Amino acid sequence: MSQTQALWWASESFWRKTAIWVTAGSFVVLIFLTFDTVKQITAGGKRVPAYSVINNRIDYVFDEKRNFQVPVIGPEEPLFGKKLTEEEAAALVSHGKLTTQAKNCMNCHTLLGNGSYYAPDLTKSWLDQSWGSKEVREQQMVEFLMNPQDRLHNALGRKMPNLGITEAEARATVAFLKWMSSIDTNGFPYNFKPIDQADAAPAVEAAPASDPAAAAPVQQ
Amino acid sequence: MAALGTLSTANLNGGQKLAVKYFTVAVALFGAQVLFGLLAGIQYLNPDFLFGILDFSVNRMLHINAMVVWLLFGFIGSVYWMLEDEAGVPVVGLGLGNLIFWIFTLAVVVVVLVYLLVQVGPGELKSIWLINEGREYIEAPRWADIGIVVCVLVFFYNVASTFMKGKFSGIAGVLVMDLVALAGIYLAGMYYTPNISMDQHWWWWVIHLWVEATWEVLVGCLMAYGLIKTMGVRRKIVETWLYIEVALMFGSGILGLGHHYFWIGTPEYWFTIGGFFSALEPIPLVAMVVHAVFDAGHHKLKSTNNPALAWIIAQAFGNFFGAGVWGFMHTLPQINLYTHGTQWTASHGHLAFFGAYATMVIAFFYMALQKWRGGVYMSGNLVGAWKWKWAIFLLHAGMIAMVMGLLVAGYEQSQIERAIGGSDWVAYFAGQSHRWFMQGMFWRMVGGWTFAAGFVLLAWDLMTIGKRETRPALAVQAEAAAA
Amino acid sequence: MLEPVKLADFFTVFFSAASVILFGASYALVFAWSRVRNRPRLMPLAYAAYVGLFVSVIVLAFAANLFNNTFWTVIVMLMLIGYLLAPHAIWYLCVGTHADELEDGHADTSAAGAAPAKIFQQR
Ligand code: HEM
Ligand code: HEM
Ligand SMILES: [Fe+2]
Repeated sequence: MSQTQALWWASESFWRKTAIWVTAGSFVVLIFLTFDTVKQITAGGKRVPAYSVINNRIDYVFDEKRNFQVPVIGPEEPLFGKKLTEEEAAALVSHGKLTTQAKNCMNCHTLLGNGSYYAPDLTKSWLDQSWGSKEVREQQMVEFLMNPQDRLHNALGRKMPNLGITEAEARATVAFLKWMSSIDTNGFPYNFKPIDQADAAPAVEAAPASDPAAAAPVQQ
Repeated sequence: MAALGTLSTANLNGGQKLAVKYFTVAVALFGAQVLFGLLAGIQYLNPDFLFGILDFSVNRMLHINAMVVWLLFGFIGSVYWMLEDEAGVPVVGLGLGNLIFWIFTLAVVVVVLVYLLVQVGPGELKSIWLINEGREYIEAPRWADIGIVVCVLVFFYNVASTFMKGKFSGIAGVLVMDLVALAGIYLAGMYYTPNISMDQHWWWWVIHLWVEATWEVLVGCLMAYGLIKTMGVRRKIVETWLYIEVALMFGSGILGLGHHYFWIGTPEYWFTIGGFFSALEPIPLVAMVVHAVFDAGHHKLKSTNNPALAWIIAQAFGNFFGAGVWGFMHTLPQINLYTHGTQWTASHGHLAFFGAYATMVIAFFYMALQKWRGGVYMSGNLVGAWKWKWAIFLLHAGMIAMVMGLLVAGYEQSQIERAIGGSDWVAYFAGQSHRWFMQGMFWRMVGGWTFAAGFVLLAWDLMTIGKRETRPALAVQAEAAAA
Repeated sequence: MLEPVKLADFFTVFFSAASVILFGASYALVFAWSRVRNRPRLMPLAYAAYVGLFVSVIVLAFAANLFNNTFWTVIVMLMLIGYLLAPHAIWYLCVGTHADELEDGHADTSAAGAAPAKIFQQR
C-alpha cells in the first residue's frame, strides 16, 4: 500500500536479525570469558588459593604495582595449631561453608560484599582487629559464634542471634572465614587495617575496646 | 452472562481463568512482602523487636523471597492472560497447567512455613535440601528448586505448544526464547560448592541475567501486548520496537554482568568489561523515553483502562530511574569500591524492582479486572476512581521516601565506614550509629508505612474497582481499523 | 587500572554520575518533544541539556580519576559522542518505523501527527 520502500534500517526484519545476532554474539563472548574466569577462580589458583592455605598466615598488604591491598600468604601458622592435609582442609572449609548457608548468615551479613546490610562484612573478618590479638583470635571467634546473643556488639543494641552453632560447626566456620580472607578481591574492602600478626609482637592491645560506640564482640 | 460490573469467570477465556488464580496468589504474596519488609525495617530502629523469635535474617529472607515469587506469579499469570488472545487458539494442556498452579502454590506455602518455623538447620547438605540454601534471593531449598523447574517446564510447554498450534507472532517468538533463557539461567544457581567465589560467580548469573536481561525482555513482551490492547498501537510497530529493545537490552545487559565481578575474586579484566557495558546500559532506557514521547505526541492518548495505563507509564519512569539513574550512579568500579554492599545497593534494589517489575504486574492486574467484570468502563470519571489514584500515589510516595532515606544512609555509610574506616567491624558500627544513618532508617520506616497504606488501598481497590460501574469499556481505537 | 576516589570528591562523584543520566534523559526528552510537537524553539533547550551532560561527564571523569588511564579516557569520549548522537538515531528510528502508518492518511492530521511526517518527507 505504501509507495516508499520501507527503510531497511527501520524494518522489522532488520531488527529481528540484529536482535538475534547481538544476543548470540554477547552470549558467545560471555561463554569464552566464563571459561577463563572459572579457571581463574577455581580453588588452588593464584586468585583463589587452595583450602590448605588455612595452614598459613594470611595478611592483607598494600601492593604498589596494583595500587590496592592484596592478600599475602605468610609462614606456616596452622589453624587451631593443627596442620591439615589438602583433603582435610577442604572438608573443614566445606563444612564451614555449609554452616554459613544453613544458618543463613547472608541474610544479615555480606560475604565478599554480597548479602544483607544489617551486620558487618565478613570478607576480611578473619583479619579484624576486634578479635583482640592473634593469639586469642581463634578461640574468641569460636566462642562468639556459639554464643553471640549475650555479647554486646555495639551501642546500637544490635545483636547476633543464637543459631544453634555447635563447636564443630563453629571451628569449621572459622576455617571457612580464614580461607575466604585469602581470596584476591581486587582491593575490596578498601583501606582495611588488619590485625597485627607480626611474630615478635607481645604488645597485643590492638582492639579499641575503650570506645563504647564501637565495642568489639570480645567484650563480655 | 453475568451483569456488567460483576466478577464472573464466564467473562474469561481458559488461559485467563488460570491467570486470575496466579494474580490472586501474587497479591497475597505482595502483602507478605510488605509485612516482612516492615518487620525487618523496624529491627533497624529497635533491634530487640522479635529478637530470637523472628530474627532479621528470617524477615528479610521472607521479604525478598515473597517478592521474587509474587513477581514470577504475576509474570506467569500475565503470560497466561495474553496467551489465547495472542495465539488465537485455546491453551494447549490447560488441565496440566491448572494442576501445576496448585502444586506450585502448595510448595510456596510449605517453603514459607519451614522458613518461619524451622528457620535454620545444621551445617550439612541436608539443610540445603530441606530447609534453606542460605543464598540471597534463591534461598528456596533444593527440593523446591527442582519443583520450580518442573512447574516452569509445564508452563513453557503450555506457552510454546499453544503458539505452535495457533499464530506464532513476533511477540510469541521473543517470549518463547526468553522463557528458555530464563529457566536455563535458574539452573546455574542450583548446585553446592564450598568455593564462595565460584558460588557468587554463578549466583550473579541468576540474579543479574534475570533482572537486567530476561525479565526486562519479558516485561517488554507484556508491554507490547499491553500497548496493542489498551492503546491500539499497531502490531508491526510494536514488534519492531520489541526487537530494538531486545537488541539494546541484551547487547548491554549480558556483558553488563561484569559490574558484579569487580570484587568477588574474579579477574581484573571485568573492570574493563563491567565499566564499558554499564555505560551502555542506560541507552535502551533512553530509547524508550524518546519513543514514548514520540508515541504520546503522535497518538491521542485515549485509553480504555486508565489505571492500567497509569501503571504502564509508572513502569517507564520507574525503570528509567531505578535501573538507569540509580544503577549508573554506583556502577563504575571507581565508585562501586565504596558503595558495594551498602544501603546504597538497597536503595537501588528497591527502586529498580518496584519501578520496573511491580508496576508492570499491577498494570496487568487492572487489565484483568476490567475483563473479569465483563468489560466494564475504566476511563475518565470512573466511579470510585479516588481509590486507584490514591493507591498509586501512596505507593510511589512511600517508595520514594524509602529510597531517599536509604540513599542518604548509603552515602554516609560509604564515606564513614568504607572510605575512612576501612570496612572493619568498628568502622561498620561507626557508620551505622551515625546521625544520618539513623535518620535515613527512620525515614525508610515513614516511607514503609506509607507504602503499606498504599498497598492496603490497592488491594481494596482491586477487589472493588468497577463494581458499581454500569458503563461498558470504551472501544480500543485500533489504528489498523483507521487505515 | 583503578585510582580510588579522593574523599573530598565523594559527593561530586555521586552527584555527577546521577546528573549524567538525568541530563541525558532531559536532552532526549526535550529533543523528542521539540520534534514531535514541531516546536523548533525548544531545540536550544535540548542542547543546553546536552551541555549539562557534557559538563557532568567531564566533572565525573576528573573526580573519579578517569583521565589518568587511556581505557577510561576512551570510555569518556565514547559516552560524550554516543549520548550526543543517540537521541538523533532513535528519533530517525521512530520516524522510520512509523513510516507507513504516517502515509496511510492517518485520521489524525493535527500538528502532532503531521510533524513527523513532514520530517520524514524532507529526507
Ligand atoms: C530493572 C532492572 C534492575 C533491577 C531490578 C536491579 C536490581 C538490583 C538489586 C536487587 C541489586 C542488589 C543485589 C544484592 O542483593 O546484592 C542490584 C545490584 C546492582 N545493580 Fe542493579 N538492578 C537493575 C538494573 C541495573 C542497571 C541498569 C545497572 C547499571 C547501569 C545496575 C547496576 C547494579 C550494580 C552495580 C549493582 C551492585 C551493587 C553492589 O555492588 O552492591 N542495575 N541491582
Ligand atoms: C513496606 C515497604 C518495605 C519495607 C519497610 C522494606 C524493607 C526492607 C528491608 C529492611 C530490607 C533489608 C535491607 C538490608 O539488608 O539492610 C529490604 C530489602 C529488600 N527489599 Fe524491601 N522493603 C519494602 C518494600 C519493598 C518493595 C515494594 C520491594 C520491591 C518490589 C522491595 C525490594 C527489596 C529488595 C530487592 C531487597 C534486597 C536489597 C538488597 O539486597 O540490596 N522492598 N527491604
Ligand atoms: Fe546487574
